[in-house]
Amino acid sequence: MDETKSIVREFKVCNQYGIHARPAALLVKAAGKFAAEILIGKKGNEVSAKSIMGLLTIDGHKGATLCVQTKGEDAEEAMAELAELFENNFFEE
Amino acid sequence: MSIKLKELLENGRDRLSLELIWGEEHLNRVVEEKAINRPGLALTGFFQYFAQRRLQVFGLAEFTYLKSLDSAERELRLRGIFEKNIPGIIIARNRNPLPELRALAEEYCIPLFRTAMITSRFINESTLLIEELTAPRGRIQGTMLEIMGIGVLLQGKAGIGKSETALSLIERGYSLVADDVTEVVRDSRGRVMAYANELTRYHMEIRGVGIVHVPSLFGVAAIRRESELDLVIELHSYKNDADEERTGITPGEIEVLDVKFPLYSLPVSPGRDMANIVEAAALNHKLKILGHDAAKELDEKVIDTFLRKAGA
Repeated sequence: MDETKSIVREFKVCNQYGIHARPAALLVKAAGKFAAEILIGKKGNEVSAKSIMGLLTIDGHKGATLCVQTKGEDAEEAMAELAELFENNFFEE
Repeated sequence: MSIKLKELLENGRDRLSLELIWGEEHLNRVVEEKAINRPGLALTGFFQYFAQRRLQVFGLAEFTYLKSLDSAERELRLRGIFEKNIPGIIIARNRNPLPELRALAEEYCIPLFRTAMITSRFINESTLLIEELTAPRGRIQGTMLEIMGIGVLLQGKAGIGKSETALSLIERGYSLVADDVTEVVRDSRGRVMAYANELTRYHMEIRGVGIVHVPSLFGVAAIRRESELDLVIELHSYKNDADEERTGITPGEIEVLDVKFPLYSLPVSPGRDMANIVEAAALNHKLKILGHDAAKELDEKVIDTFLRKAGA
């Protein structure tokens, strides 16, 4: 039986420039702190949130809805940390 | 800046063919400006502006003018200059000092020098020499390499693999400037030049092998006497939460002799070919200098695409 925690949440991209290099770097750094597997993207087109080149391909423009899934021991903590970035618009306008 | 006449004489004997005529005990006098002055105007009695903190050079023009005056007048005009407490006097073209000049030098305790050079050449050479002697310099821990014309300083804790990385880069055809300890000097254009300590130059220490002589092992193409510093790369042991650069849009910064340089912090972990990565960093830096910033350009492309989609 698989006891691994798995959380799924949806986020809307609200900052003007979307997930370009700077926000992508923030996401990668945040995700890199956790052991959990973290996937992000539009449904059926998810990439690892630990890959900066991957993050640039998920089409995270302003207004896009992205699905984030965290899997593993520290899934909750990882989700909380990523949520903070989305909710603060990656500290951009 | 300031430099003692003694230091100038020691370094200028060969390069400026400088010799002392009089004033051995007064060589502790200090020159506070690197430019050299020709006191022609002052000799005519014009003192509204006189660069008195500079070395004064007497060339053909000054001599010819002084000779056109009678002895009393000559003494009077020269005294005017000595009263300004100038640091020292140099006579060009190896001329003998006029008796009045010599007497006043002794009276005012101001050293008198002679050079075989003609005035204009002496002014150029001595300005360069003074600039060199007074340039800010220092010694920094790190291995200096030249990679395709880019001067790279490798820094990091002892045992992290600086010399080993340097060795791999030398094998790839790049040049070693200094191993582990690099001397730096900032020139008048604000460039920082890096070179090795005279004694240990071209040697490096490889753990487990010992000290090796790089040109003997790899040929003279593997070494360079000096190189201009362009970027600093710091090797550190891999930590998961390390604050390393992920996009390359805003590299770190480090100051060497008060000049800012881009700093790349590279994590070392087993299986990572550091030489390869340092090479990539240097080449990417070269590309940036040529005006092609890959990270920025990709970012602009991404933003552009997103803006269009958000607007649609």
